[in-house]
Amino acid sequence: MINVSFYLRRLHSLCGLLLLGGVLVEHLLTNASAMGGPEVFNQGLAMMEMIPPPVFLGIEICLYAVPILFHGIYGIFIALDAKNNPGAYGYSRNWKFALQRYTAWYLVAFLIWHVGYLRIYLKGIMGEHISYALVQSVISNPIVFVLYALGMFAAIFHFCNGITTFCMTWGIAKGPRAQCVVDKIAMGLCALMCLLTLAFMFSYIA
Amino acid sequence: MAEQKKTITFIIERQDSPTSAPYTQEFEIPYRPALNVVASLMEIQKNPVTKDGKKVAPVTWECNCLEKVCGACMMVINGKARQACCALIDELEQPIRLAPARTFPVIRDLLIDRSVMFESLKRVQAWVEVDGTWEVKDAPIQNPYTATTAYEISHCMTCGCCLEACPNVGPQSDFIGASPSVQAYLFNLHPLGKFDKEKRLNALMGKGGITGCGNSQNCVEVCPKNIKLTTYLAQLNRDVNKQALKNIFNK
Amino acid sequence: MAKNKIIVVGGGLSGLMATLKICEAGGEVDLFSYCPVKRSHSLCAQGGINACMDTKGEHDSIYEHFDDTVYGGDFLADQLAVKGMVEAAPKLIKMFDRMGVPFTRTPEGVLDLRNFGGQKNKRTCFAGSTTGQQLLYALDEQVRRWEVKGGVNKYEFWEFVKIIKNKDGICRGIVAQSMNSMEIKAFPADVVILATGGPGQVFGRCTASTICNGSAVSAVYQQGAAIGNPEFIQIHPTAIPGSDKNRLMSEACRGEGGRVWVYRDGKPWYFLEEMYPAYGNLVPRDVASRAIFKVCVHMGMGIDGDRRVYLDLSHIPADYLERKLGGIIEIYSEFVGKDPRKVPMEIFPSVHYSMGGIYVDRRHFTTVPGLMASGECDHQYHGANRLGANSLLSAAYSGTVSGPEAMKYCKEGKQGADLTEAELEAARQEVQAEYDKIRQMNGSENAHKLHQEMGEIMYEFVSIERDNIGLDKCLAKLKEILKRWNDIGVTDHGNWANQEAMFVRQLRNMILYAMAITKAARCRDESRGAHAKIVLDAQGQRVTDADGELQFMPRNDERFMKTTVVTYDPKTEEPIVNYEEFEHSLIKARPRNYAVAKKE
Repeated sequence: MINVSFYLRRLHSLCGLLLLGGVLVEHLLTNASAMGGPEVFNQGLAMMEMIPPPVFLGIEICLYAVPILFHGIYGIFIALDAKNNPGAYGYSRNWKFALQRYTAWYLVAFLIWHVGYLRIYLKGIMGEHISYALVQSVISNPIVFVLYALGMFAAIFHFCNGITTFCMTWGIAKGPRAQCVVDKIAMGLCALMCLLTLAFMFSYIA
Repeated sequence: MAEQKKTITFIIERQDSPTSAPYTQEFEIPYRPALNVVASLMEIQKNPVTKDGKKVAPVTWECNCLEKVCGACMMVINGKARQACCALIDELEQPIRLAPARTFPVIRDLLIDRSVMFESLKRVQAWVEVDGTWEVKDAPIQNPYTATTAYEISHCMTCGCCLEACPNVGPQSDFIGASPSVQAYLFNLHPLGKFDKEKRLNALMGKGGITGCGNSQNCVEVCPKNIKLTTYLAQLNRDVNKQALKNIFNK
Repeated sequence: MAKNKIIVVGGGLSGLMATLKICEAGGEVDLFSYCPVKRSHSLCAQGGINACMDTKGEHDSIYEHFDDTVYGGDFLADQLAVKGMVEAAPKLIKMFDRMGVPFTRTPEGVLDLRNFGGQKNKRTCFAGSTTGQQLLYALDEQVRRWEVKGGVNKYEFWEFVKIIKNKDGICRGIVAQSMNSMEIKAFPADVVILATGGPGQVFGRCTASTICNGSAVSAVYQQGAAIGNPEFIQIHPTAIPGSDKNRLMSEACRGEGGRVWVYRDGKPWYFLEEMYPAYGNLVPRDVASRAIFKVCVHMGMGIDGDRRVYLDLSHIPADYLERKLGGIIEIYSEFVGKDPRKVPMEIFPSVHYSMGGIYVDRRHFTTVPGLMASGECDHQYHGANRLGANSLLSAAYSGTVSGPEAMKYCKEGKQGADLTEAELEAARQEVQAEYDKIRQMNGSENAHKLHQEMGEIMYEFVSIERDNIGLDKCLAKLKEILKRWNDIGVTDHGNWANQEAMFVRQLRNMILYAMAITKAARCRDESRGAHAKIVLDAQGQRVTDADGELQFMPRNDERFMKTTVVTYDPKTEEPIVNYEEFEHSLIKARPRNYAVAKKE
């Protein structure tokens, strides 16, 4: 008896925290460099482009596309297992449980748009270079700006709350005190990352 | 007493059969100090008339001990799953809303079918494989601290509060819920029960097993016996992960 | 060879124990219960289970346990039966320990023991203050294991209605009804074991679960099984009075050092310690209940003049209480809203247990061949008063007797002719007709109100103190209630999970059982154990002595050291009382006095 669902769930958890967490942090850091001005940002992008295209594509597929698709699609099934009930049971952890799923739904839509437009349409099909100016032009639209900010917040919350649940799911934080500490650290990190996001987003349009 | 006669209002969600549509009825009973929900339902039984004077069939529900040890009278009271016997009227907001725990199939009114929980206990082998009821020899000595933990978990009365409150348990999912999962841990703690630890952990790895837990932690909030369910679920997670590695590398 | 099929009715400690024994002996069990067996009333037992483990350096002995039980039962228990039980007790404890019962342990990991009423040595094994729950769960788990292995078919939410006899009058099956679909079905078997518990609900409010109504016992009583010693109803001294039920506060409270008192001249008066210096707060339940009743009712010294006294744990360290009595402290805090660690609890005696029940021999066969009874629903082991923590023992032990005896009976081929399809169908139709009639009842009485009324009458006349005029009055009132039963109106005429119709049927059984209790009490003109009868003068007035103390009839070994055997007269629907000899040759009867230490 191979417990497929067990291994898939554990893989989902690992992939979410380590790979997609990495993707998020990478995005955050790259974009944060925009606060140093267009040169710093473009320089960073140029460094990336020094990687030979086939290797870069490989990285994109293995570390970005596959994990996102797996985590996203399997995650939809997980989210469908839940009847969210924070209305009746308004405890903080239950709210976070529900938010983890609400943010997931938002992220599914957001990522289809974000990846589809920027990576596939603009870069892949139109052959545009991703640059400071491009990003700036995209998010200077106030609606896009808000949607992007929400997307970042959702991803950050989903990731940080994921740290807490990861520690529970893997039996790292067992007792209520340990779980509470992990939760506080994760939420602190969440706040920091959100602030950083706001900072660099405003720096684009400032 | 000079003050005007106080009454208690109930809004009860009723359902005549498993397939019929639910409806609500309002009942009013005279106030008495120290009344609880079961005692109030008993009052309604003695005079099954709704607030607007309609004579109806008395409300159907399940109860036995009225001391919060049998687990029978679990229902949803003002939105939360709990035992009706220890839901004191003085501590509840009125009108008091009663509803069946719809995580489980409803039989009639507040009466539900929790047999799925007992089936889950079979699945996780929640027992010690004793050779028989005959005399063997002295039972093994046990660490009193471990025994204290076992005692805490062994209070679980299969009432189903943790399943009803869990967003991941219900018709939409196959998760067996906190209570039966944690029972597996109880028997893994016992000096004889732990011989079958692997079997129980492997059972928990199966479909609807412990991976169904989404860490909403409602279970530990609503458990009427204050069992530290989330702590034991985390321990089980640890054990199950180790077992998974063993399954991969030791065979 | 086909397996022997045995029907066990009732899934408490005794029924489950019998089930296990039958499975192990190669039989097959159909297990019937009103509720999932894990919710049976055995789980309300709190304090512990007696067994001579002698791990406290007190030189406790099995004989001492034997003597305490017989003496505590005021010499009305079959001594050979009791001897078998106390000898088996330590083995049962080890079995439960292996099954995973989380008994409370000493720092070195062996089973801890505590004091209990009516015994001077520490002899009570316990799992906090939820021992019954833990023992029941252990057996429930083992039965579930047999369910998986094959051997047990559970019929949960099925109500036993009556037994079916073959043409020779041997019990060969039962009729039962599903409590959800209301389907009525006849089930054949080789033997039927009833393990249906006590009749607490006959008294309305009591410490028993709502399911303990004695209906099954009454049903077989009406079909020819005799009832033994029904007049001996244990009143537990310490319960929280409530409008829906009286909630038990375990004797373990007193076993762990709890003290009972009321205010006298502004100061606490520890009346049990003063009245019974040798045993103090740990006198047996009948003695303690009478003392509390006297202080509250006759002396008018209850708290605020009410029927309540203090049970005080507040002088005991909180962490010790938590470890030893956690479960019941939670019950008190939850239902009363006060913390027993800080303030004394307020308690009053309540109906708790029936020493009597279906009359059985030492092998647990009733007077109907092929029908057995085991657990609280039988009359064995406790005589006129049960010692605390002996009930879990008798429940478990009786299962270890009835199960194997049932198999032996089958193997010997004593069960006679099988029931024919026609006989099964006839029995089914009879029950169906009765049920259909109940469902159409359209009178003016409400069954639940009638039940409450009966409970109040029983409390008034047949509880702690009884007198013959009151008992006569009670009997007359019960007959009237039986008549009024015919005028019940049901509001639920449906045929799906109709709890009301089922209750109406149970109520009739309860009334008839109440009549058996009352009649047996009326006929026993003595005081013994839980049965205390006040002397009346020629004018029917209660007799008091020079100090104004009520006079009770003395124990009368010559006339009444006999088992009461009550049979049902189908013509008049009334009980017929007879007396039978029983085995009491091992310990000679001696006066029972808890003011002094006992001498063997």
